[in-house]
Amino acid sequence: MTTPTTAGAAAEARPKPPQPPEPIEFDLTSEERLALAEQNGLTRMGVRPPLWSYIRDVIRHWQFIRVLGASTAYSKNQNNYLGQLWAVLNPFLNAIIYVVIFGLVLGASRGVANTVAFIVMGTFMFRFIDTSVHGGARSIASKSSLLRNLHFPRAVMPISEVYSQLATLIPALGVMVVMVLLSGFIPAYEPVRVTWWWTLFPLAIVLLWIFNMGLAFIVARVTAATPDMDNIISFVLRLAMFASGAIFPITRFVDKLPPSAEWFGMVMEYQPGHVYLYLGRSMIMQEKTIPPDLTMWYWGIGWAIFTFALGFIVFWRGEEKYGRD
Amino acid sequence: MTEADAHLDLDLDLEFDREDLDGERPVPSLGSPVLVVDDLHVVFRVLGAKSKSATDAGAHVQEASPRRQSLLKRLVTSGSRHVGAVSEVHAVRGVSMVVRHGESVGIVGVNGSGKSTMLRAIAGLIPPTEGSVHAAGEPALLGVNAALMPQLSGERNIMIGGLALGLTQKQVEERYDEVVDFADIGEFVNLPMKTYSSGMGARLRFAISSAARPDILMVDEALATGDAAFRERSRARIEEIRKDAGTVFLVSHSIGTVEAMCTRVIWLHQGKIVMDGSTDEVVPEYQKFVRAHKRTKSGGRAGGVGPRARKKRNGGKGDKPVG
Repeated sequence: MTTPTTAGAAAEARPKPPQPPEPIEFDLTSEERLALAEQNGLTRMGVRPPLWSYIRDVIRHWQFIRVLGASTAYSKNQNNYLGQLWAVLNPFLNAIIYVVIFGLVLGASRGVANTVAFIVMGTFMFRFIDTSVHGGARSIASKSSLLRNLHFPRAVMPISEVYSQLATLIPALGVMVVMVLLSGFIPAYEPVRVTWWWTLFPLAIVLLWIFNMGLAFIVARVTAATPDMDNIISFVLRLAMFASGAIFPITRFVDKLPPSAEWFGMVMEYQPGHVYLYLGRSMIMQEKTIPPDLTMWYWGIGWAIFTFALGFIVFWRGEEKYGRD
Repeated sequence: MTEADAHLDLDLDLEFDREDLDGERPVPSLGSPVLVVDDLHVVFRVLGAKSKSATDAGAHVQEASPRRQSLLKRLVTSGSRHVGAVSEVHAVRGVSMVVRHGESVGIVGVNGSGKSTMLRAIAGLIPPTEGSVHAAGEPALLGVNAALMPQLSGERNIMIGGLALGLTQKQVEERYDEVVDFADIGEFVNLPMKTYSSGMGARLRFAISSAARPDILMVDEALATGDAAFRERSRARIEEIRKDAGTVFLVSHSIGTVEAMCTRVIWLHQGKIVMDGSTDEVVPEYQKFVRAHKRTKSGGRAGGVGPRARKKRNGGKGDKPVG
């Protein structure tokens, strides 16, 4: 063992911690280093890739998205005795509560023939939007260890989160359909029939899925920059639930507007939440006030494409910033 | 979260693992530059923590006063105006280097000197606050800290980790047995990873992350875990990858490992490079510093806060100053 030069200092009664050498001066200037990097064709790390190569990169990770999404969905209900049963029990109980409070106690759904089916479909479908937005908002923060250790386009996180919500939704939709059918047996209601329109219902869900991914991108970017937004999102979503007519029809309210506020009625009717609930209900239920409507389909397709494209670009523009905190 | 959580459990008291010295140190054959780091800065934003608590968490500090931003800027960037709750940890403060093909670079420094953060920034996993990193190919980080999804079984984690590393589902399935064998976890592979012992978890994570073959390999503390047999196996695995990759970065608290495997050593202190040179040049100086540091047994500011260090301190001379 060699004797360190600081041995004298250590022998004192109150020794001072040793000091390391001063930081070194670099023998190359910044310009020289950058030139060296360019000469050797090195690519810069941690910068946002061009949009097209980013899209290709995301598509290449499709398997990863699927496995991560399915695993996340599975792990969510893993710590219960009833396990995966909760994936359907949760929305079921949720719907029951709204039916009891708003449908039976408050009678808020006047003007609808089958109140039970109306509220059940509204709550089940809106729940998909709700959980997607919440999941999207947390998708970056909740898996930071993954981001810190592995390379992949960060858009994978919100996409797989919404995918996991879709995976939980599909069995729940089965329960929803059964509940709607059973509601037809309530004496006061007309029976619910299975029609050819039902075949278009999955298309409405696909459009809603695409729309939700767009929303998830946007909230993921916003929440990554400002974690506080996560709290505000809950309130916005609660407002959106009523404004989309998940519990009671907004037409009742819109029809009462004075002619000068007609534009507001249009906004309420064609805002995405209402459009998707309308599409779902018009396909499954035989409500006279909610007939199948081609205009609504156009709106549904338009909102899905617009929101997804906007969200993807918004998210991509923050790509180099995720994972810092 | 700071990089400090990556290696809190390691002590400053370096017992130079002689067992690692058996291997031949690779002979450098320098090629063209494969990695250029220019004036790299990494600043962590810590919400809901005053700078004092960031200090205690092991993030290096002392005179590194957080850069104050204007009130408006802070409002805009963080949205959180809970008085004094936003602090910043300047973990890497102006690091520059040029690394050539065939070099294996060891990074040494006391706890919280910014080693792991720098490694992650170089690997492109943490975006630099200032400066830039240029690399040939995609650097891959080989670590044991990548707790993927603790609530899922080892099997799912192998799949997720492999896919995230850019392998296809088929490739992962092909290497599955190899990974399980290497990690030596047997039947536990079907249980959630949170039920694993820390050694098993670390072994599996190492096995997963070493399933891919990167261009530039970064190894973070991977050799510090597991029993002697596993350490020997992982050393062999890294050596194997190194031969393919050509360029290796190694962060380790074991001087013996660094001496045995690296041709060049960079000594980081408080986020700055204080020495950069050949192994024979830097290691003795660093050892001198560490021994002197140990002898002074000054409080736990820069490191040595682990239980082992504390026990040693108490067992030694009783006249140490506290704090």
